[in-house]
Amino acid sequence: MAVRQEAVYPVGWRDGRVARWLVTVDHKRIGILYIATSLVWFVAGGILALLMRSQLATPNEHLLTKNSYNEVVTMHGTTMIFLVVVPILAGFANFLVPLMIGAKDMAFPRLNALSYWLFLLGGIVLWLSFFAKGGAAHAGWWSYPTLSENLPWTSPGHGQDYWILSLHILTLSSLLGAINFIVTIHHMRAPGMTWMRMPLFVWAIETYAILLLVALPAISAAVTLLLLDRTVGTHFFIPSEGGNVVLYQHMFWFFGHPEVYIMVLPVFGMISEIIPVFSRKPIFGYKAVAFSTLAIAFLSLLVWAHHMFTTGLGDGLNSFFMISSMVIAIPTGIKIFNWLATTWRGNLIFDTPMLFALGFIALFTLGGLSGIFLAAFPVDWQLNDSYYVVAHFHYVLFGGSVFGFFGGLYYWWPKMFGRLLDERLGKWHFWLMFVGFNLTFLPQHMLGLLGMVRRIYTYHHGGLWEAYNLISTVGSGVMALSIAVFLVNVWRTQVVRKGVRAGNDPWLADTLEWYTTSPPPPENFDSVPYVTSARPLRDLRRRLAEEAT
Amino acid sequence: MRRKLPSFVLVLLVALATAGIAAAGNGGLAPVTPHSPNAVRITDTYWVVFGFTAFVFVLIESLLVIFIVKYRSRGRSRAVEGAQVHGHTRLELLWTVFPVLILAAIAVVVFWELPSIDHQPSAATNPIHITVEGHQYYWQFDYPNHARSIGTLHVPVGAVVDLKVVSPDVIHSWWIPALGGKIQAIPGRVNHTWFRADAAGTYTGQCAELCGVFHASMLATVKAESAQSYRTFITKTAPATLGAQEWSGVCATCHGNLGQGGYGPAISNNTIITQPAALAGILRNGVNGTTGAMPPVGNTWTNGQILALVRYMQKNIYKPAPVGATSGG
Repeated sequence: MAVRQEAVYPVGWRDGRVARWLVTVDHKRIGILYIATSLVWFVAGGILALLMRSQLATPNEHLLTKNSYNEVVTMHGTTMIFLVVVPILAGFANFLVPLMIGAKDMAFPRLNALSYWLFLLGGIVLWLSFFAKGGAAHAGWWSYPTLSENLPWTSPGHGQDYWILSLHILTLSSLLGAINFIVTIHHMRAPGMTWMRMPLFVWAIETYAILLLVALPAISAAVTLLLLDRTVGTHFFIPSEGGNVVLYQHMFWFFGHPEVYIMVLPVFGMISEIIPVFSRKPIFGYKAVAFSTLAIAFLSLLVWAHHMFTTGLGDGLNSFFMISSMVIAIPTGIKIFNWLATTWRGNLIFDTPMLFALGFIALFTLGGLSGIFLAAFPVDWQLNDSYYVVAHFHYVLFGGSVFGFFGGLYYWWPKMFGRLLDERLGKWHFWLMFVGFNLTFLPQHMLGLLGMVRRIYTYHHGGLWEAYNLISTVGSGVMALSIAVFLVNVWRTQVVRKGVRAGNDPWLADTLEWYTTSPPPPENFDSVPYVTSARPLRDLRRRLAEEAT
Repeated sequence: MRRKLPSFVLVLLVALATAGIAAAGNGGLAPVTPHSPNAVRITDTYWVVFGFTAFVFVLIESLLVIFIVKYRSRGRSRAVEGAQVHGHTRLELLWTVFPVLILAAIAVVVFWELPSIDHQPSAATNPIHITVEGHQYYWQFDYPNHARSIGTLHVPVGAVVDLKVVSPDVIHSWWIPALGGKIQAIPGRVNHTWFRADAAGTYTGQCAELCGVFHASMLATVKAESAQSYRTFITKTAPATLGAQEWSGVCATCHGNLGQGGYGPAISNNTIITQPAALAGILRNGVNGTTGAMPPVGNTWTNGQILALVRYMQKNIYKPAPVGATSGG
C-alpha cells in the first residue's frame, strides 16, 4: 500500500517570535534590526541633546554642568554619528541592496549577522561608559589628546577606554559590512543589470562601502595609539615626552571627513530614488549623479585638514585644503541641480517621503553653503569651534542625513512591513520637524558669529545670546514633539494595525524591490525579470500595458 | 496642497523675524564689529562669501519653491507621468562650470585678503611681543619686561601686538572675536597671531577648544588703553596685583572666591597656604587626590609668582580653623 508522504515542516525554537530575530541571517531582518536599534539610540542621543538645550536655554543655568555636560556633549556626538546615522544607513543598505539588484540575500549572510551583533555590542559598550569609574568619556567626540589622555587632571577613569573599545568594535562591524556590500554588488546583480542600470542608491552604497574601507583604518590606528598611551605608558600624543598631538588631529580627520560623506552619500542615494518616483519622471542626468557620487568620495579623502585651520599649519597647507574643500562643492552642486531638474515638468505628488526629500534639498543646500564660509580659511579662523560650526554640521547631518533617512523610512516602510505609515501623521511629523529644526539651528549660526563657542555648559551674556539660545531650545522641543508623532505613527500602523496594507508597489516605483511582495518572502524573488534599463519596474508596467491593448 | 503654503509662510516669517532681530544690532549676521586690521579683513572676506552664497541660496530655494508650486500634481493621478526627460548635457555643463567660477572668485578674494590678515602691517615701531599661555583654566600673559598678568591682557591702543601662543597642558584655542580669528594653543608647539586694537576699550573672548571641566569659565579679556596706562600696568600694577590676579583667575574657579570650596575642596583654613614650598609643589605638579585631581596650574610659574600668591592668600583668604570647631563637612 502506498503511503502518501506529507512534507513535514517541524516548528523548532528558531521559529519563536523572538528567537527568529536572534538567529536570523536574512538580510531583511538584519536590516530591520539595524534600523530599529539605531532608532533606539536616536531617541537616547536626542534626550541627551534636549538636556543640553535645557541647560543652555538661559544664562547661568544649573541643570547639567561641568563634567556632566562634557560627558553628555561627547556621548551625544558619538552616539548620533556611530550608533545612529552610520548604522541606520547600513540597515537600509542591508534591507535594500539585495532587493534592488534582484539577489536573494547578501553575499555572506552570516558575516552580515555578525556585523549587526557587533554594532549592538559596540553601542552597549559605549553607553556602559556612563557607569565607568570617572564617568563617561568627556573629551568630545573627536577626543583630542592630551585631554583624552590618562592623566589625573584630563581623562582618568575608564570612560575614555570604553569609548575607544566601542569604536574598535563598531569599526570592525562596519568593515565587515563594507566588504559584504562590495562583494554583493559586484557579483549578485540580476541578469541585465549593468553598472549603468543600477539603482542610484546601490551606487551610493558601493561608494559608501569603499569609503569605509579606506577611512576606517585611520581611526582604528589613532585610537589604538591613544589606548596604548592610556594603558601601557607609550607617549605617542604626550608632547612633554616627545609625542605629537597634531598627529592625532591628522589621523582623526583623515577618517573624520570621509565619515561625513559616509553619513550623507547613502542619503543622497535615497533622495535620488524618491524624487523621481514622486515626480513621475526619470532622474535627471543619471550618469552625472552616479559619477558625482564617486567624485565626492574621492575628494573627501583630500580635505581633512579643513578641520584644522586653527592648528597653525601654515598658508601653504591651508590653501591646499581650502581649494580641495571648495572643489568638493562642485559635484555636490551637480547633484542638487539634477534633483531640482528632476522635479521640473513633473507630476509632483507630495506624499510624506517626497516632503522629506524636498525638505532635505532645502536644508542641505544651506548646510552646504555655510560650508563654503568654513572652507575659506581666514573666515574659518572666526567661525571654527563656534556655534556656527554646530549649526553648519547639523544642517548637513540632521537637515541632510536625518531628513533623508526619515524620507527613506516612509518610502520603504510598506516594503519592510507590508503596511503604509499614516500620511496625516507623517505630514505632521514632517512639518513639526522642519519648523523645529530651523528654530533650533538657524539661530546657532548667529550665536557662533556673536562669539559663542562650542561645548560650553553655560554663558553669562543676556540680550541676543539669551534670545537665540531660548529660540533654539524651544525649537529642540518642537523637534522632540515631531519624533513623538513619528513613534505614534509607527505604533498606530504596526501595533494597532491601522496602517493600510500596501500591495507590492504602492508608489508605482521604478526599482526591483517593488517587484516582490510586501514584505518580501525569504530569498526575496521567485524570478527576476531581465533588467533592460535603470527603471525595470516601469519597463514591466509598460510591457503589461502594451500586452493588454 | 494649499495647506502647505501657510506653514511655509510661517517658517519664512520666523526666519525673517530672526534676521530682523539680528540686523538690529549686527547681532549675528556677520562677525562682531572688528577692531583690528586683520579682523576687518576677515569680515570683508566674510561679506564677499556671504554675497556669493546668498545668491546661490536664493537661486536654489526659489527654483525649489517655484517647481513645487508649478509642477504640483493638482489632482492628477499617480499613473500620469511627467515629461520623460533623461538629462541635458549643456544644462549640466552649465551648473558645473557656474559653481567653478563662483568658487574661483571666492578663492581669489581670499588670496587677495590673506596677506593683510596674516602679516602685521610694517609699522615704524617694533611690535610688542607677548606670550599667551593657555592653562586649565586661565590665560597667562608674559610682557616684554617679564611682567605677568592673568585673565586680562593689557595693550596700548594702536600698537601692533605679536602673540606667541603656547600651552603646557591640553589644547586650548585663543579667540577674541573683535581682534581677529582663532589660533590653537597646542602643547609642544608654538603658534603665532597678532592684532592692533584700533580703539580703547575692553574686548572679550574665551577659549574655543574643549579643554576640560571648566572650559566654559576660561574667559579672556583684552584691555586696550593709552600707552601711558599700559606702561604703568606692566611696570607697577601687574607685579603689585599678581597674587590677587592668580587667586581670582586661577584658584577661585574651583575653590570659590573666598576659598570656601566649590568644585574643589574648601581651602581657606588649610595650613598648606602658609607653607610656600608645599604650596609650590601642589601648584607645579598638581594633586591626584582621593576626591579628585587638581591640574598643575602653576607648572610654568616663577618662584616670585608663587610667593605673590602665598602672600595674597595669607592676607586675604587664610582663616585658621577656630580651636574646637566642628568640621562643616
